[in-house]
This record gives sequence, structure tokens and C-alpha cells, in this order.
Amino acid sequence: MKKIILLIYSFAFFACENIIYPELEPSLELYVVDAWLNNLPGTQKIFVSKSSDYFSIAFPTLVSGAEVYVTDEDGNSFDFEESDEGYVWGDSLSSSFLQVGASYQLNISVNGIQFIGTSEMNPVPPIDSITFQYQEEDFFTTEDYYLAEFVATDLIGVGNTYWIKAWKNGIYLNKPSEINIAYDAGFSAGGNIDGQVFIQPIQELINPFDPDDADEALVEPPYLIGDTVYVEIHSINESAFYFLNEVKIQTDRQGGFGALFAAPFSNVSTNLINEDLNSEIHPVGFFNVSSISSLEQVLTAEIAKKAQEEGENKN
Amino acid sequence: MRLIFLLIFFKGSLLYAQQMVTLNGEISDLSNGESLVGAVVYIKQVEGGAVTNVYGFYSLSVPPGTYDVEFRYVGFNTQSMVLKLTENTRLDIELVEIEKELNTVVVSANRRDANISDVEMSTAKLDIKSILSVPAFAGEVDIIKSIQLLPGVSTVGEGASGFNVRGGGAGQNLVLLDEAPVYQTSHLFGFFSVFNPDAVKDVKLYKGGIPPRYGGRLASILDIRMKEGNNKSYEFNGGIGTVFSRFSVEGPIKKEKVSFILAGRRSYADVLARPFTDIFENGAALYFYDLTAKANWDIDDRNKIYISGYFGRDVFKFDERQGFDWGNQTGTIRWNHLFSEKLFSNFTGVFSDYDYGFSFGDDDADTFDWSSNIKTYDFKPEFNYFLNAQNEVVFGAEFLFYEFEPANAIGVSDGISSDISLDKKNSFEASVYFGNNQKINDRLSTQYGLRISSFRYLGGGKAYTYSPTLPGERKPMIGTQSYDNMETIAHYEFLEPRASMRFTLNSSSSIKGSYNRMNQFVHLISNTVAATPIDVWQPSTGNIKPQTGNQIALGYFKNLQENLFETSAEVYYKWNKNQVDYIDGADILINEFLEGDLLSGDGRAYGLELYLRKIRGRFNGWISYTLGKSELRIDGVNYGTDMAERKGNWYPNRFDQRHNLKITTNYQFNDRITFSAVFSYLSGTPTTFPNDRFSQQGYLIPLLKNNRGNVRIPDYHRLDVSVTWDNVYFGKKGRKNKDYFVFSIYNAYNRKNPFAIMFSQGSDRQPFDAPIETMASQISIIGSIVPAFSYNFKF
Repeated sequence: MKKIILLIYSFAFFACENIIYPELEPSLELYVVDAWLNNLPGTQKIFVSKSSDYFSIAFPTLVSGAEVYVTDEDGNSFDFEESDEGYVWGDSLSSSFLQVGASYQLNISVNGIQFIGTSEMNPVPPIDSITFQYQEEDFFTTEDYYLAEFVATDLIGVGNTYWIKAWKNGIYLNKPSEINIAYDAGFSAGGNIDGQVFIQPIQELINPFDPDDADEALVEPPYLIGDTVYVEIHSINESAFYFLNEVKIQTDRQGGFGALFAAPFSNVSTNLINEDLNSEIHPVGFFNVSSISSLEQVLTAEIAKKAQEEGENKN
Repeated sequence: MRLIFLLIFFKGSLLYAQQMVTLNGEISDLSNGESLVGAVVYIKQVEGGAVTNVYGFYSLSVPPGTYDVEFRYVGFNTQSMVLKLTENTRLDIELVEIEKELNTVVVSANRRDANISDVEMSTAKLDIKSILSVPAFAGEVDIIKSIQLLPGVSTVGEGASGFNVRGGGAGQNLVLLDEAPVYQTSHLFGFFSVFNPDAVKDVKLYKGGIPPRYGGRLASILDIRMKEGNNKSYEFNGGIGTVFSRFSVEGPIKKEKVSFILAGRRSYADVLARPFTDIFENGAALYFYDLTAKANWDIDDRNKIYISGYFGRDVFKFDERQGFDWGNQTGTIRWNHLFSEKLFSNFTGVFSDYDYGFSFGDDDADTFDWSSNIKTYDFKPEFNYFLNAQNEVVFGAEFLFYEFEPANAIGVSDGISSDISLDKKNSFEASVYFGNNQKINDRLSTQYGLRISSFRYLGGGKAYTYSPTLPGERKPMIGTQSYDNMETIAHYEFLEPRASMRFTLNSSSSIKGSYNRMNQFVHLISNTVAATPIDVWQPSTGNIKPQTGNQIALGYFKNLQENLFETSAEVYYKWNKNQVDYIDGADILINEFLEGDLLSGDGRAYGLELYLRKIRGRFNGWISYTLGKSELRIDGVNYGTDMAERKGNWYPNRFDQRHNLKITTNYQFNDRITFSAVFSYLSGTPTTFPNDRFSQQGYLIPLLKNNRGNVRIPDYHRLDVSVTWDNVYFGKKGRKNKDYFVFSIYNAYNRKNPFAIMFSQGSDRQPFDAPIETMASQISIIGSIVPAFSYNFKF
């Protein structure tokens, strides 16, 4: 899909973009909760802040003095302590308190306001392998390159949702266009592809397509010999899947001709509520607990050679 | 039951009609045999007459006697004769075109004062000559671009597919090409329309006062009729332009009996670029083409058969496997049959298929293909009964069968194929209608009628029940029921009254009023700023109610200086129900539970349209201005601070534009050189700006105040100029051989008209050690002057 957008760019040579500075209304200063926990060993962090003016380019400031804790169904409570990095549970040696199959409630008490949210810990399938495909130099690159694909199979049962994250040589692929989420093995509910290998666009969304520094019309090869790719699958809640889907729609904005296909702005959802349902104060953000599977693969010369031979045999 | 009532009505009328004699026949162009639509038969003694229907047929009844009869059509010499009518008489007339002295533009005039004397209002008829006088983008003549110069018609900007009529959406226009519905009117994202002007005879747009013979859309009907083809001699038309070339051939297969036309166009940016780049070698493509064909057979005085077809496609491909494409195909077969001098009938069978899709992937083992289509089968019997000089009755029926394939999607991963297609959806729309054009007296004429429409959403497949939620939330699916093939899942029936009247104030002015109710059973679901070719069509179901629209319009029509100037002022008010919108974050492409993501509510639009036209002379043209407003009120959208119930407040539609001014001028410098200029001014469309930002897992998310459409993008204005040089090669010698050269400049003063304003964190990778940057940029689809030329010929 990315390439198609590039194609449109290259032909829509009449299109243009100008940076503007429109005046916006004053900030709403809503409470923001960023609470995505997982079962990896180490600390778990929750960040509480306030929304700020759209054009204020600064890190969010932590709202201090909040009481933040997570409870499970058995009445256990896990307290998050305030620190410079947010509200933190455990240390680098802690093993996670999250158990697959259990349900958790996030409780935040700040300035006399109680916010709560719930999330369930879902299982995650293993990543079986990461493979590479050889590609000859094409319109967008100046050299031959390799495309990576992870191979994993959706767990049996309709309604499993996942967030797939990828790192190239330790750099997290964090562009809005790289948000890679799956509903069962496909893009959305009702796709009727339960318990299968993830569909091709999902497998392949672990390839970075970054513009070439020398020529904007070109992209850097996603992977070359010696590169490392690391992939994680996070099990997420169904509501988190929809949330991330909305985040992708709202943040992955294509300029130029791509604007033809852009959806108008709208607010993303939240699973956090004010315990006082009549209150005018509503938080934004999300609480989700994930179990994680991961795999790392280096593109060695040997693997590359094999991929090249396979590629040539196909042609 | 209703039908029996109608039959009784006619029987009574038939008895009454017997002491009259009927004059009927066809009026056509002497040079090529093309029937003339809207030509006038005028009888002095009765101070009235008849107008030819869309097949060029007329019929009128008068008491026996001797009459002075005139046959008139704008741009043609009037033919007068004295006729002694003692019995029913068939008289076919061929009119001779007036030698073109000045490049007189002929628009919206059946006869010189038609705008005043017709009952119809809120309509615009464009014959192909007037469309030809306004070169649009890239020097090419374009039908959809031409109608956008009329009051009440607009578009949200360059690159938007379709057009908007009186505050309606692009999916609320019914576009008919020889009666076949065309779901996508755009080539190349709206820069060109799919209709080849070489094959078009005339175009009529109904913005209001819609007659009962049409139904199924709320905002407008655009009725495009193809040429029949020269039935006297062969004719070749063509053009070579900057973006595409056209060629058409027409002629008699059997002289004056059977004729045909074949017209094609193809863009060739890819062909021209091929020597300079190798990107097309691996299967990349960028082109569109269309082919229009028609044949007709004049069997005898009573029977005529027409067969026409259209086939067009747009293709954008990155390589052999990746890209997207769309195209319409239509086929129409029509049989005109004259049951008697007074009863004209037409039976039409239509097939239409709009399909669109995209695909990506690397090889056979890893691909993803998505496509969707909507097929329509339509059968329409229609009867015109020319009762007497005061009444012309129209009645008929329409049976439409739709087959939707919302998503054919196949993903192949590592050789394992998974079919994630959605079930087909079938539906059936049936309507009967009746209408009468009644002349009550010399000053007052009316058109009234009723359309009864019904719609069935049919199996097979599954139908879902959704649980109600807080408005604006995704409705969870709570029940499934399976249906057999063609079993009715949901059923709707509606009465659609229609009426128009004209009251003549004096020989140069009249007032008109109209009311119509329309229902729309198929919905275009679009979640982009402008309509695109890959938007999804969705039938009404048990969960999605048909849209209902009402419109009243009032108008004052006045001509000045012996019809040299035509002016009009119209006001309209529309109120609609069950307008479709969607929840935030709705998934439209492949969503079995799309119904759970859709919302519905009320719509309203109102406005004032002003029109001034100078019809004749070296300097001619028109000014059209619309002051309009179009709004929606949907629970779950734009609810402000009402978090508990989320009751919606009125908010502007995506295509709400307050002012819409178009000035079109032609100046004939001499008999070979004509200058044209078109100026357009449109208020900015509404958009929603974010207020705040917040971050979540490293992504920067815009935060809004729940006030949709709270700001406007800057206004749009543009000047296009062109010069046409006639008789470049052939000179004035050959009367039949003609050619002309057009040089045009689009966006002459190089304005960067905004299409949208985008707020984003930028598409680059964000470093972790710095705060995320936010910015806003204004996007222009055409941000430069676009010069173009075309050379056109006819021989």
C-alpha cells in the first residue's frame, strides 16, 4: 500500500503542500492516561498527564500526586510509585504480576477524581520464524534489497486481537503508518480468517520504507545483509484493537494526492471512565494488558544468498 | 388495485378523445438523422402545441380543420406549413441547421422562451454544442465540469469524484447514461468525466421538481442521452489532446434505417513516458480508456430498436501485482413502439456493472486482492399518452435488481490462501408511477404525479441484529439469522408525490413552484473528505433505513430584450431523513458488521440560486450564483458536552459551501477565433481542527472538542482561459470537414487552492529523545498553472 501511495505522489506532480499556522482554540487540558502493561520482566509504567495545545511541542508533564494501582479479581493490589518516568511498579529484576486469563482494573485517584478502566490478559501465539525475500532494484530503490516477513498463526477462536511491533537494528518502527494490528489473522472483525497464518500485509508491515536522504523520491532498502529484525506480538483487548485502529486513522495522514483518501478528524475512543458518571471531567487514553511473544533474526549472508536463489528460481 | 384505477381513468379519456384528430411523428436533423429532443410543434390557431419526447416523437390532438403548423428547434430553421387535418396524420419532419454565422451558444432552451414557458423548474438542459463551448481541464470538453457551471451545482475541489447538487452528496445523484445507472462518473479522480462528449447528444440535470418517471436518489437526476449515429453518411470525429485522444466513427449501416456510432478515448501519459523510463516494463500502468457504442434500427413507423453500451476503466498500477483500478460497464436495449397515434411506449432493459478494487503483494505466494462491485439489472416499461392538447399522461414501472459484492478479498500468505470475502447482498426495487402534464389555461400549467416505490433486501446470507448503544459507539452484534436465496429480509414501501406548476405573468416572465419526495435505497458510504472511486455502496437493510428526501422550490423566471437575456431566481428548501453517517473510527472496507458502525439522522439544505445569461451575440455567457447551506443532525456526532445522551447538534455537511459563483464568457473575436474564460469562486468547505494533543505509546493523537466542521478551509477561486481557433486546416471551404484547435490555461493566476488542511506528527520516524513535532499543512491538489492544447477534427 505504501508503494501505491508513492506512485500516486510521483504522478500527481501538480499537487503541493504549504505549512500553515492556524489559530486554535485554547487547550482543553484533559487528563491523559497512558497505561499499557505487559508480562515482560522489569518495571511496568503508567503515565498520567494533561493534554496540551496542539502546536505545543514538548514532552507531556507528569501529573504528580496521583494514587495509581492495579487490582486483580482475587483482591490483590499492585501499587505504582511516582517517579520521574511516571508511575512505576517493580524494578528491573521483577517478574510481571500479570497472568494470562486474568482480568485487571486500573485505579487512578487524582485531585479527588477517580478514574477506572479494566483490561483482560489474553494469550499470544509464538512467532515461528522470520523470513526474507530478495527483491531486485526497482523504481524506488538504487540497489537490490530484502523484505522481511514474520510467520505466526492466529490462536484458534474468533476475536483474538494483536499488536505487532518491529525493530530494525534496535530502532522501533514507530511511524503511524507502521501501526500493525490484527483481528484474528486479518484486518478486521467478520473477516472469517480465524486460526490461520496472518495475512500477507500484516506479515510484511515490519519493513521500514524510509525516504532516501539523497533523493526524496527514493526509499532506503528495508533490509540489507547484516541487518537485524526483532518482532513482538502483543495480545491486546478487542477495545484496544479498535482504539489503535482509530489512532492509525487519526495519525497516519498522507499529504499531497493522498489527502484524497484521508478521513476527517475525529476523537479516538477510551476505555477509562470517571467513577462519578455525572462528572464533566472525562479522561482520555487507554489501559491495556498484553502478553508478548518475540523473535529476533539477523539477515546473514547465507540467508540472503538462499533468498536470492529462491527469488531467481521463481522468476 | 391502483393500476385498475389508472386503467379506468384512461378508458374514460379515450372515449372523450374520439372527436379529435391526431398529428404525430418524429422530428430529426436533416444532416444526420439524429432525432431532436424537445423540438416544438406549434399550431397558431390553438396557440399551443407539443414538444418532442426524448426519442424525438411528438403527438397532439386537435379538432379536424386547417391549421398553420410550425416545427421549431433552436439552432435550426423553422419549418412552417398549412395542414388540413381531417384524419389522424403521421408527419415526420427533418429540420435544417442554421448556417453557423456567429458562434451562438445554445443552452437550456428548447425554444427561445422555454425557461419561461416550461412547467419544469430547477432543471438544466445542455446540448452538446454548449458543452463544447466551454473547454474545461486540460483543454478537454467535459460534461460533469460543464454542469458545475450551473447554479446549485458544485464540487469540493480538484480530485473529488462526482459532484454535489443543492447540498446533496455525490452518492445522492442518479447518473443515467442511456438510462443505465453509472455509479462512478470520474476518470483520473474527477479530473475528467467518464462520458465521451463525441457520443453524447444531450444532457439534462434535474435538481428539483423531479418527474415521477425518475426515482431512487435524493439530490438530482442527470440524464445523459447518447447520439444515435448519423444515418445518412459516414462521419469521423476526433481529437488529439494533452492527456488523451479521442476518435469516433458513425454512419449508416442501411441508409436512414440502421445506424451506429462507435467512440473511444484513451489517455497516453504512460505511452509517451515509455521511452524515457523503464517503470512500465514491470507492469506499472497509469491510464484510462472508454468505449461507447450504439446502434439503432428504425424498423418502421411504429417500431425502433436501440442498443447501446459503455465500457470504461481507470488503471493505476505500481507493478504487475500492485495498484488499483475501477470501471463502469453499461448496456441498454430499448424498443420504442407506437401502439397508436397517441400512445407511445418504450421498453428498456439495462445492465450496469461498477467494479473497483486494489491489490498488493510480491508474488503468487504473498498477495492481497480486494475488489467490490455493484451490478444492476433494470427493466422499465414506459408509456406516453398524448391525451389531448391539454394533457399528456406518462405512466410506467421500473424493476431494479441489485447485486452487491461488498468485498471480494483474498489474502495469500506463504502460499496459504484465505478468503476473507463478505457475502453477496441482493435487493430488489420496484416502482410504478403515473404523471400528467396538464395545461389548465393559457397562464397556468401543471405537472403532477405519484411514484410508488418498494424495496426488498433479499437473502441469501446472514442478517444481523445489533444491540442499541450510546449513540456514536459501535453497536455490538447480538443475533444472527440465516436467509435462503431471494428470501426477503427487510421490506419498505413508499409513496412519492411530485408536483410542479407554472404561472405565466406575461410574455416575458413566469413564476414556478414544485414539490417532490424521493427515496434512496442504496447508500454511498464514504469516510474521506471527498468521494473517491473506492467508496463502498451499501443497500438498505433491516438496520439501515432508506433515505427519504423532500424538496420545495419556488422560482421567478424573466427574459429581457426579446429573449436576449435569460434570468431566473430560485429558492429551495430540502428536508431529509435517515441520512447515513458513521461512528468515529468506522471500518468501511471489509467489515461484515458495517451496519453496527453506521449512524443515521436528519439532513436539511436550503438556498437561493440566481442565474443571468446572455444567449446571443459575439459576447455571450452566463453568471450563476448560489447561496446555500447544507447540514446534518445525527445523534452520536457533534454532541458537544452532552456526554450522557449524545444528542447531536446540526453540523455542516462535508460539501457545505456558502457561496458558489461561476462566470462563463465567450467572446467571438472573428469567425475563426473565440476566447473563453471561466471564473469560479466557492466558499471553503468545513473541516474539523484538533484542539489539543496527547500521546499514547509514543503516538501523537489529536484531540477535538466534539464540534464537527468547526472551521472552514480557505475559499476556492480559479480562472481558466482558452482560445479556440476554428477551421485551422480545412478553412471555410469544406462544409462538412471541420477542425479546430484549443489552447487552454487552467488556474491562470496560479492559485494554490486548498483541498484540505492536514494536521499531523509528520510521516517521518520520530526519535525517542525529542518531543514529537506537530504541524499543519495546506494541501493543494493542483498547485500550478496547467496549460494544455487539443486539436479536434470532423470529416
